Amino acid sequence: MNANETPPANPAKEPSSECLAPPASADPAAYPAASAPTTSRRSFLKAGGMLSLSSLMGAGALMTQSGEAHAAAEWAEHFQKNYRLMTAEEKDEARKRLERRYSREYEKPVTVDITGPQPGVLMGYALNVRKCIGCRRCVKACVAENNQSRGERPGERIEWIQVLRMERGEFSQDKMDHGYPEGLGIQVGGNAYTPAGQVLEGQYHYAPEAVPEKDATYMPIACMQCEKPPCVKVCPVRTTYREADGPVVIDYNWCIGCRMCMGACPYWARRINLTTPVLPKAEMNPVTHYLGNRPRMRGVVEKCHWCLQRTRQGRYPACVEVCPVGARKFGNLLDPNSEVSLILARKNVFRLKAELNTFPKFFYFYD
Amino acid sequence: MKKSALHTILIALGAIVVLGGGVAVSVFSQDAAPQEAAPPEPQEVICFESRKGASEITQHEIQPGLLNVKCSPTTGAALWYGDPYEGTVPMGKMPLLESIPDDKAVVRPRSEKLNLLAMCGTACHNNTLPLASRVPPTLPKNNRPVPIPTMEGMLPEIANLQHGRGRIWCLDCHHTTKRNMLVDHFGDPISFDQPQLLCGKCHGDKLRDWRDGIHGKRIGEFASTGKKRWFVCTECHNPHDVQNGDRNRGFTQLQPELPPQLSHGMKDANYEKLHPIPH
Repeated sequence: MNANETPPANPAKEPSSECLAPPASADPAAYPAASAPTTSRRSFLKAGGMLSLSSLMGAGALMTQSGEAHAAAEWAEHFQKNYRLMTAEEKDEARKRLERRYSREYEKPVTVDITGPQPGVLMGYALNVRKCIGCRRCVKACVAENNQSRGERPGERIEWIQVLRMERGEFSQDKMDHGYPEGLGIQVGGNAYTPAGQVLEGQYHYAPEAVPEKDATYMPIACMQCEKPPCVKVCPVRTTYREADGPVVIDYNWCIGCRMCMGACPYWARRINLTTPVLPKAEMNPVTHYLGNRPRMRGVVEKCHWCLQRTRQGRYPACVEVCPVGARKFGNLLDPNSEVSLILARKNVFRLKAELNTFPKFFYFYD
Repeated sequence: MKKSALHTILIALGAIVVLGGGVAVSVFSQDAAPQEAAPPEPQEVICFESRKGASEITQHEIQPGLLNVKCSPTTGAALWYGDPYEGTVPMGKMPLLESIPDDKAVVRPRSEKLNLLAMCGTACHNNTLPLASRVPPTLPKNNRPVPIPTMEGMLPEIANLQHGRGRIWCLDCHHTTKRNMLVDHFGDPISFDQPQLLCGKCHGDKLRDWRDGIHGKRIGEFASTGKKRWFVCTECHNPHDVQNGDRNRGFTQLQPELPPQLSHGMKDANYEKLHPIPH
């Protein structure tokens, strides 16, 4: 496309007063006034938008009719800034608006927390892979806590934690020649035919009568809260980012549902609400956080955020509290006496897919 | 459908019972103000915490719309804690944990759950025997375990004790004369609410990890100085049955929760066994 023929801002599409006068030349270099009025017009529109926005918000607060208040709230939500750019007042405004909306929608008092990162806290997580019995209680606790969709139709049941069942590997004489590559006899715990070890090959849909099974080992996977998260790098609207105390969070209002982050995540940690989330009123958890478990809308991506609504208030995440074998540990990495720091100091620790240099703050360990 | 019908019937029955109770009250206390018929009590939901047969929690509302605990409809396990400190008491001073203030470390007492415990010291082991034979009636002469039908009837798993690989017996852990207590190395009694003092006699490495929060489970506040409810040994492990052959860990087998939704294109759960993910 020739830049000389098309000015940067197409005046034909914008019926403003400047456009009524025909340009003296099609060449933007010869028509320097074209760019200046466009920007001023843009700023004028923006100012007008903000003005009507603020007036509507004020009107919404005064109005008693729920329909118009609802429209005002929707308007305010639409013009809301990226959460990181919002001032404290704007955050508080958004909090109040959401609390009103959710309380009406779910017919119980819902709180939306906007507590920020606490100084001196860097959250870390550790999981004992030897202890995990694969009971999936963490998965269901996460759903109970974090208001995921729980419908029956395809894509309506969202779970953030996956528990992978893997066959146990073995070193044995009769498999000596079955190593990989073929015939070289290099045994790696399993081999090409009976894989084992951390190749992440296994079953998610196992359903035995009782766990743990004798020949299986279990590996729960969720968001690793990377220090260098690939999902954050690819997000085109920068709505997902790393909070100062560690967790990678999503401002659901700014998510456009492009799913770039889902493709970028090497740990399959992200889920998208393809349909309107199915969240029964009775099961909805009314204690929420803006960046955490507040009810999501259709078409946004969500993932584990280490129960921000709990951990910002000092509580353990929900999965840690229900693990029946105590395999899940959570703590402050900056505190040398915390559980996670002691595990890092004392136990054999590995990070999943460490070769990708994502630097997860989720550590697997065994004793 | 069936379930909801059953539920309706139960609610109706509950209403009848409550109404009946209301009538009885008004008959017996006539000077009292006339009582309104209370709404039918919802059925009591009790869920088990770590393993079946150990500690349990009864569900109730702590705030409008907020439960103290949520239970799994599949397995009956506790799935979510609204109030992590329910029914707890201070843990008491533990060796090497003296620096923790009393209100920061709490436990749920085990003795409430142990049904027989109240009877042990009163019904049989009550020191009412003649002075000359004031030892428990079953104390053997040669320190060899002898099967005791009374005990096995009360606690079936001790018929085949799976702990210590045949090298320990009852009175290594239970107090000789105070049968509702455990015993430490010096023969002093230990409360059933503090089994870690007993278990740490042999499992010292586990006790150390438990003290630091690496082994076992704590719920509540995650900060190292925060208030936590500690789970004690016997809430997760059955000491009479820790080496069952059907599993490969010290934890008892239990029913798992439901698997995730089948992905697009998967007809059944067997699919992923036949079509492993390429890596």
